[in-house]
Amino acid sequence: MIILHNVSKNFGQFKAVKSVSLSVHNGEIHGIIGASGAGKSTLLRIMNLLEIPEAGDVEINGKTLTKMRGKDLRQARKSIGMIFQHFNLVANKTVYENVAVSLKLARFPRRQRKGRVMECLQFVGLERFQDKYPAQLSGGQKQRVAIARALANNPQVLLCDEPTSSLDPNTTAEILGVLENVNKSLGVTIVIVSHEMDVIRSICNRVTVMADGEVYDTVSIEPKGIHILDNNPKSFVEQLTKDGDVGHA
Amino acid sequence: MPEILVQYEAEIWQSIGETFIMVGVSIIAAILVGLPVGTLLYLCRKGQLYENHFIFSILNLLVNVTRSFPFLLLVVFLLPFTRMVIGTAMGTAAATVPLSIIAIAHYSRLVEQSLLDVPRGVMEAAVSMGASVREIILKFLYVEARSGLVLGLTTSIISFISYSTIMGVVGGGGIGDFAIRYGYQQFKDDLMMYMIIIMVILVQLIQFTGTTVSRMIDKR
Repeated sequence: MIILHNVSKNFGQFKAVKSVSLSVHNGEIHGIIGASGAGKSTLLRIMNLLEIPEAGDVEINGKTLTKMRGKDLRQARKSIGMIFQHFNLVANKTVYENVAVSLKLARFPRRQRKGRVMECLQFVGLERFQDKYPAQLSGGQKQRVAIARALANNPQVLLCDEPTSSLDPNTTAEILGVLENVNKSLGVTIVIVSHEMDVIRSICNRVTVMADGEVYDTVSIEPKGIHILDNNPKSFVEQLTKDGDVGHA
Repeated sequence: MPEILVQYEAEIWQSIGETFIMVGVSIIAAILVGLPVGTLLYLCRKGQLYENHFIFSILNLLVNVTRSFPFLLLVVFLLPFTRMVIGTAMGTAAATVPLSIIAIAHYSRLVEQSLLDVPRGVMEAAVSMGASVREIILKFLYVEARSGLVLGLTTSIISFISYSTIMGVVGGGGIGDFAIRYGYQQFKDDLMMYMIIIMVILVQLIQFTGTTVSRMIDKR
């Protein structure tokens, strides 16, 4: 369980997060939505102390991160995976090396490393891409590598910062499918920040709505499932005109 | 081979050797000290991971002051220091002292610039994975910036060669000094030209190697 207790974060004069309290239950997919500048990304980045809050406490599975420093904090971060809008892969490392580095940082036994990397790449369906460099991959593939990297150390939590915001609709659906699978088959708690209502509605169980650095409300919802479009122009037109009364120009 | 080169063969080889020693020591200083200093400049800069105004300002000032000196004046200014370190202020060994100092200042600035090209997100990913400072630097920063670091070193080495040519003033020798003393001052224009040609070939080789290596290791 992730518990934020009255956390605040300022950037100079700007109050990005104002004394927010929030709890994320184990095993759920928790969405955070809000307009640009509402503080949702900052709130997510506070969860692994990528942003250090000026006030308040962050607790993950009974450990208070905000009381940790140096080595303890680094150790705690190894069980919190994170993925980003721009993937943030190391461009000069291969797909394999990008996943392996996360194991190396966690001192994962050398002899089992290869097996673990391949296991993670298989999970995201990229085992055949192990020797490619990020520049040779599509956006969706890069995000899959990032997910494999984040999963390598068997995290309890996966933080997703606008994970689909630079992807097209079909790739978005693909990535959401992978995330749902991470949640269902590995039991990883997921927190996902997005400004896209469709993304949040398709996979989240609970959603926190933020405005002006504060939590407006947290609601439970029934995820409506991931809708994958056929990747052909005909289905695009069908989608656009399916409500009937719209004709061709 | 032209007769004049045969005539001075021993001296030419010796001066080439001296240039190699002076430039070689500069390269070692650049890598061993310039690289860490440049890395520190980058990490302590405003808005970076280990923002530290105090360390940044001091290093920044030191690098700027060193690079502001006309190099000949730096050599003269450092004479007492050189004498303290080497025991004499004259000769090839003594010449390596001011050369190393300018090498450190020169390369550290280029290191800082190359590191600034590393996307901030990559550093954040490293932090989020629980990497220590040492791991961030070695497993992420240098890996991502490596082609820029190599290109920067190439540019630096060529500057070191240029700086080394004036070390004749403290008896440092080298190709440049040879060209001045034998070629220019003894009116052997052809000998001077040959020395210049050697320098041009040397610089071309270094630039070619640097560019090739940097392109090979760049997968971005």
